[in-house]
Amino acid sequence: MISHEDSMRILIADDDEDDRTFFSDAMMELKMNNNLTLFNDGKELMDYLANPDIMLPHLLFLDLNMPRKSGFECLKEIRADLRFKDVSIAIYSTSSSEKDIEETFIEGANIYIKKPNDFNKLKKVIKEVLNVNWQFHSSGLNKETFFFSI
Amino acid sequence: MKNIKLLKLYKNSEIFKIALGIAIAVVCYIASVFYTQMRSLDSSVNLIANATETQLELEKVLSIISIYETNLRTYIITKDESYLENRFLRKGEIESNLKEIDKLVANNPTRVKDVKRLKGLIEYRFALFRETLLLAKSKNPNSAALNAKLQESNDFTEIMKNFVYKTINAEGDKVKIHNDNHQFELEDSMISAFLLVILSLLILLLSFNKMNVDIAELKKTNDELKFLNRSFNNAEKIAGFGHWKINLEKDTYTYSDNFFRLIGLEPQSFTPSLENISKYIHPDDLEYVTRMHMDSLRTHKPTSLMYRFVLPDGEIKYIMSVGSFTKNGKGESVKTGVNYDMTDQFKKTIELEENNKELKSINEELESFNNIVSHDLQEPLHKIQMFISRIESKEMDGISEQGKIYFSKIRTSANKMQTLLIDLVNYSRTIKGDKVFEDTDLNGLVNQVIDELSSNIEDKNAEITVGDLPVVKAISFQIEQLFINLITNSLKYSQEDRAPKISIFSKNIEENEIYDNEIISNEKYYKIVVEDNGIGFKQEYAEKIFVLFQRLETGSKYSGTGLGLAICKRIVDNHDGFIKVLSEPNVGSQFCVFLPKKA
Amino acid sequence: MKLYIKYDGIVACRVILQEQLERLNIKHKLLDLGEIEISDSVSDESFAELQDSLSRYSIFIVNNEKSQLIQKIKDTLVEMIYENDKLPAITISQYLSEKMNFSYGYLTNIFSDNTHSSIENFIIIQKIERAKKLIIEDELTLTEVSYKLNYSSVAYLSSQFKKVTGLTPSTFKRIVDKRRSLSN
Repeated sequence: MISHEDSMRILIADDDEDDRTFFSDAMMELKMNNNLTLFNDGKELMDYLANPDIMLPHLLFLDLNMPRKSGFECLKEIRADLRFKDVSIAIYSTSSSEKDIEETFIEGANIYIKKPNDFNKLKKVIKEVLNVNWQFHSSGLNKETFFFSI
Repeated sequence: MKNIKLLKLYKNSEIFKIALGIAIAVVCYIASVFYTQMRSLDSSVNLIANATETQLELEKVLSIISIYETNLRTYIITKDESYLENRFLRKGEIESNLKEIDKLVANNPTRVKDVKRLKGLIEYRFALFRETLLLAKSKNPNSAALNAKLQESNDFTEIMKNFVYKTINAEGDKVKIHNDNHQFELEDSMISAFLLVILSLLILLLSFNKMNVDIAELKKTNDELKFLNRSFNNAEKIAGFGHWKINLEKDTYTYSDNFFRLIGLEPQSFTPSLENISKYIHPDDLEYVTRMHMDSLRTHKPTSLMYRFVLPDGEIKYIMSVGSFTKNGKGESVKTGVNYDMTDQFKKTIELEENNKELKSINEELESFNNIVSHDLQEPLHKIQMFISRIESKEMDGISEQGKIYFSKIRTSANKMQTLLIDLVNYSRTIKGDKVFEDTDLNGLVNQVIDELSSNIEDKNAEITVGDLPVVKAISFQIEQLFINLITNSLKYSQEDRAPKISIFSKNIEENEIYDNEIISNEKYYKIVVEDNGIGFKQEYAEKIFVLFQRLETGSKYSGTGLGLAICKRIVDNHDGFIKVLSEPNVGSQFCVFLPKKA
Repeated sequence: MKLYIKYDGIVACRVILQEQLERLNIKHKLLDLGEIEISDSVSDESFAELQDSLSRYSIFIVNNEKSQLIQKIKDTLVEMIYENDKLPAITISQYLSEKMNFSYGYLTNIFSDNTHSSIENFIIIQKIERAKKLIIEDELTLTEVSYKLNYSSVAYLSSQFKKVTGLTPSTFKRIVDKRRSLSN
């Protein structure tokens, strides 16, 4: 049940501090009024999600290469839990291997983002992702076939 | 044609046997005919002889009667008793003749009747003789009566003579007829005899000839066999194998000379047997070999075994032994086989396997190296670029002009590094990546590429035309990379003063081109061309530019990593195709990609 | 005993709205004051119930013609894309203005102002959505799909598909197939 927040709840898990900073700075500069929570790695994220009382996020960004629990493992676990069936998951990685991209979609990711190398590009990417994600939610489009790669 | 057919027939022993049979039958037939002819000849000769003798005997009888007559007359004239003594009416004289005649005419009933009549006539004549004698001898000769009697005797003799001559003539006619027949039969039998001789000669000649031919062939075959045998033995020696044979019924073993040489022994240095050969088999393999062999003797299934022999000098040889079951000429079951010295191959195989292992581990090392390059290097690079972009968007105000220049140089270097890393990753993917061949619509692909490069294309104000391209079976992402690289190159190496014009089209292979000793023809390959009007290069470098890390242009104006075209070549190689380039400085370049039509 | 209360009416309203919307399981996003964006698929009954419950708090849903119009535009476009067996040969502008009796210019303006997205964009997304459905159904070839959706060529469909999703149609299909076999 999506509960009472006036903005989108966004979670991001990335083990790299700088990347986390980039992301939150970009979000801030976008002024899109979103609620962002940052996690240091996969395990932290999964522990948080395990809590049944939390408010479900709208969108989840997962870095692929994380110690302890990789983004891929988190993806699988989250998708195995029906509680999160309406949550959009975006994989966020430096890898641009087609194989990796396809793998994540097959495992249930909705969005794949190649980490851009330029801050402005990062802002553009995030904005577009948020837009696309909202469009899907609001237009009642099929979750099963919601894929977006950028 | 007919001659050859005849010749073939001649050689064909079946036909020959039949022909021989017929010939013999014909000969027998003629022989029997000849025999019958001979028999009839014989009988006709007999008949003639018979008739002639009958005539003779009859003449004899007549002549005796004549002598009696003459003697009687002489007595009557001379009255000399001496003419009556032994020459008149001698007892048995005519009888023996008549007996003879009886014998002679026994088979002829007419003649028998005649002879009977004759006998009667002779009786009467004798009676007349006696009467005449009586009259002549009387003291009172009655010459009239005597004359009358003599006359009567004469007449009667006449009658007898006529009769006899009639008979004689009849016999004479018979003789004539038989004589004529005899002539005919003689001629016929001569012809038969002649035919017989000719045929027999012919058969003889043909058989002789055929025998010769067959012998010649046999000899030839024999010689060939001998030759084969010799070459086989030689071949065994040269090729390093030996053969063996086991007669299952007799339980005898035969080993060829080279069989012995293979295991370091003199030919036939021991009596071939399972026990004796086992002495030379490596103890570790002995049980296995013996078991397999014995099993095969039971099941008659062929065997293929590799095992070791220990030679007298201690050397170990790897032998491959293959054997199968068959029947020999006498119908006995035999197992025949070949032993082949595999030692060299075995050693080489081991070497290969070791090399392979080494290669594998090198490969694995390279792969992990690759992973480091593609992932771990990208991370810090990504950071560098991000932070630079942060500084450049936020902090530039506090930096001096010089500092700004420095930063832009840092950014350029970082971007270059990024490009190089991306290229390296792409290159390794063309080697390693999942190779899924699927029908790829090249037009769609190229259009996608153009979309992706759209900003670059717009920047350069480039004009790209795409013709009709085929659908090929290919690894989509690799072909995409191929076009990205080619088009990017064309854009990068464009001339300063003119807008780049790039055309991508498919072309029929006109004259068959030759590449790597193979003819590239229209049936086998698609030819896809990426043509530009860029700066071009000297045709002599046409091969060099595809080499990894080779670059022609130096200087900052045209930046390149030296990987782009190497990647293209790699991709085209992966598809069993070719890539060639034609170029002229200041005119442009034409890259031709040949992709096979069948996967 | 007296209690002193300080309150923020705006926040209170927001909370009420959220609670009510959530109670009725209506997905929503609270925009600027006075505006809530909800997902299109709300039944008339839920809507009525919402109005009902909100009215207790003196919160009323303003019958905004604009948003109704926009909804109608969306519905018309979706119908055009989905229900017809082949998209109409006339241009979108003609089709819309004929069907809705407004000039196309007016419609586009209203649409963009209120949805932050253009009619064109909406159409593209919907078409690609239908393409996805057709591709999954696997009864038509890609060429047939592009024809059905009025693309001039397969290449054009592929390129738009890639723009919207970042994937090629074949990659998309491959992913969906693999996903399905995974869940079986």
